[in-house]
Amino acid sequence: MATTDLYEYPQELREEFEATEAIQFRDGSQATGADIWHYMTEVAPKKYPYAYTQRKYVDGRMSRDIHLPSAIKHNYLLLTMNDRINKSRENGSPVIFVQGGQSVDPYYAAGGIALRPASVGMWSRGRQEGLGLNEEVVRRHKQKEKAYHAISFEACQTAGYETIQEGGLPVDMVAPFTCLRCSDISYGVEAHRHGPNKAVKLMNIDYPMRHQADKQWAVEYFVQNLRRLTSEIGKIAGREVTDDDLSKEIKLHNEGRRLAIDIAELWWSADVPPTNGLDRRHILQMGGMEIHGDPSASLTILRESKTYIKERVKNGIKAEGVVDKPVRLFICGSCVRPNDFRIEEAGAIIVGNDNHWSDICTLVKEEGDPYRNLAHAILSYPYEQSVELRAAWTIEQLQKSRADGVLFLYQWGCNTQSAVARMLCDTIKRDTGIPTIIIEQHEGGSEQSEQLLNRINAFIEMI
Amino acid sequence: MPIKTLEVIRKRLEDRPAELNKLRENGQKVVGWTGYNVPEEIIHALGFIPIRIAIGGDDRLVEVGGRYASSKNCVFIREIVGAFSENEDPYIQQTDILAFDATCLQNFRAAEVIEYYFKKDVIVLGVPRNFYWEEGKEYFGKEADEFTRLLEERAGVSLDLTKLGESVALYNDIRKTLKSIYSFQAAKDNVISWVEVFDLIQAGDLLDKKEYLALLHQTLAELQALQHNPVIEVDGNDARIFISGSLIPRGDRKLINIITSVGGRIVGDDIWTGILPHLDLDIKEISPAGVALAYLNRTPHAALPYLDLESDRRLKKLHELLAEFKAQGVIYHTLRYCDPFTFKAKETKDVLAKSAIPVLEIHTEYAGSDYEALRTRLEAFVEMIKIKAESAAEVTV
Repeated sequence: MATTDLYEYPQELREEFEATEAIQFRDGSQATGADIWHYMTEVAPKKYPYAYTQRKYVDGRMSRDIHLPSAIKHNYLLLTMNDRINKSRENGSPVIFVQGGQSVDPYYAAGGIALRPASVGMWSRGRQEGLGLNEEVVRRHKQKEKAYHAISFEACQTAGYETIQEGGLPVDMVAPFTCLRCSDISYGVEAHRHGPNKAVKLMNIDYPMRHQADKQWAVEYFVQNLRRLTSEIGKIAGREVTDDDLSKEIKLHNEGRRLAIDIAELWWSADVPPTNGLDRRHILQMGGMEIHGDPSASLTILRESKTYIKERVKNGIKAEGVVDKPVRLFICGSCVRPNDFRIEEAGAIIVGNDNHWSDICTLVKEEGDPYRNLAHAILSYPYEQSVELRAAWTIEQLQKSRADGVLFLYQWGCNTQSAVARMLCDTIKRDTGIPTIIIEQHEGGSEQSEQLLNRINAFIEMI
Repeated sequence: MPIKTLEVIRKRLEDRPAELNKLRENGQKVVGWTGYNVPEEIIHALGFIPIRIAIGGDDRLVEVGGRYASSKNCVFIREIVGAFSENEDPYIQQTDILAFDATCLQNFRAAEVIEYYFKKDVIVLGVPRNFYWEEGKEYFGKEADEFTRLLEERAGVSLDLTKLGESVALYNDIRKTLKSIYSFQAAKDNVISWVEVFDLIQAGDLLDKKEYLALLHQTLAELQALQHNPVIEVDGNDARIFISGSLIPRGDRKLINIITSVGGRIVGDDIWTGILPHLDLDIKEISPAGVALAYLNRTPHAALPYLDLESDRRLKKLHELLAEFKAQGVIYHTLRYCDPFTFKAKETKDVLAKSAIPVLEIHTEYAGSDYEALRTRLEAFVEMIKIKAESAAEVTV
């Protein structure tokens, strides 16, 4: 791919960016604004040309809001994933595959690095350099196909089978929560037992169901799951994990969660959207402290982002590419989302989503037994409650974000989110009158299908 | 020679809905249950009439159910939801309370959908995914206590452990008798077919348990009179087929009919509407937790993930049953979107290949549109097994 086809950050931005805060890493090292600028303008375009595509509608295209430091820093952390994770592993931190939408405090407390499927994908992607967009998409699909062959073509989530078993990615443990967010995840974990990589440890962190947070025995069972988890990670990391380790980690992660909640409230309070939908999502997801594989790094960006968003809201700055009075959409459902660029082009903006946000919103009590506090918080995720409770929480988010419509999107093959879609939408309509639409997504290419986007656009137009 | 008691059972099944109606008019309550680890004895001991909700084979109901759940749920779950929506099934009409378990997450969602849209009184029993951990068993015991408490509230009485003991004894006898009957169908010169035994097992989901046991004893006595010493051995003319995988509920006879129509002889199964749930259930303590744990300690359902292939009891049991019934080939049946079994299809094929057991995976749903395609594949599979068996017999000669 010729470099002229690639996006280039404007050089006039350099000075301003280099003066922004350094990213502080968990191991005590840091990346200054100058380091990041150099990497993103000199190194990464050669290593990962696909990330610099000029094609407007590509899924994963980097944000063009270049005056928002997080837009560049987030991508810096994604594009350095391979180097950073390899370095951390060499320094004794085991990598654990988890699922999205779950908190990761115990994994880090035990000295591990928790990576969800998207992050594992980024790590795997980073191991092959010099690929253009099409080559990268073909590589990714070929790899996924291996998992379909080894497991089932009806699998949606394969728990990283394709990268860990077939791709040689050195993940040390696969240990996600088995909550209702993803029905495939525990079967995906089980599938690893027949793969060639016998070194990877397997564990399901068993998430009880049905009024789980109100049942003392369910909380106790989850505590035992968490204790086993930290103990197993500790064994790999060669350390004993104390309650104090977990308490400290909870405090750190609570700071991330609180920052994300503060930023969301600021964002929602603005008359005009202070960022585009993509940056809003990226910033808020950092509150989960897992996307970058380094909670300290995510925290640095969150702190800085809060200042920027506050300033933009105060000065009434509207994000580029967003129309004056956009239709405000809230996304419900599983781990998929529509393309923000296309949504904004159609005159709308995504103002929130329940997936991921549910766990980020759930603060953990800091006084007392950390395992019990964490277990209780995790079992209280609104996303994992009965439909009436989940709907009540969703409605609260709709009101806070001043959403005009709800799009329930689920991935092809997703059994448990698809099954709750109509109940949730019917409850929201019943209680608020806000229009809703349910769409199944089955994406395979680098861009979302016109079919999917036509339906969303028609919904936006109707609103 | 036909088994006369089977005809009696067919007749009793025809009468059963009207009978249930009458019993309900007299104040008795029906608990419809679905799942894989529901301790039915507890329901029975509390004076409820347990009915298993396991229906399938109706593509129209699948379509209806999909409108409430989704088209991405397995056809069995969709059909159940569809049946509650239509409320025309005579057994579904009779349910006062529903008891679901969370062994399969889709089953759990079905409970929510039925509760939400059809305003049914639903009790859900939580099931641990880490079922082999001591902590998981303890959790399940507590869930069983809670399950019992919720049933007691509805029954208006407390569970009497003596009655629970009586129910356990009754059910143990049913399981033991079914196991004895089951071996007859696999025998040489069999006087009862697997299909007949399969129907007989499913009759127990609906009939009064005491009466059912008496009918089973009667069936066994007839069988013993007809065949004194049933011997399970390969007959050169048979293609001995074992069915594994997703459940085949009442109303779904597509696969079974095709196998038998192309000359296959079904001699065993490990499906959850067949013999498997009745095997290896050893209740050591007469208490809700004791009964529930015995259920959990059986051969695990595929919806419960087990992370070590070598010590997987499900696969071990499959091998045991294949050997016991001298099966020559396995039809691995997966229903559309039945993740517990589809996710293990390739693995199961690989495992059985190591034991040189031929496997044919049939991935299907309740629509009839794939009937001919399935027939062609099954016919070829049965033919292949017959040729293989004949070749083996020639070599032996």
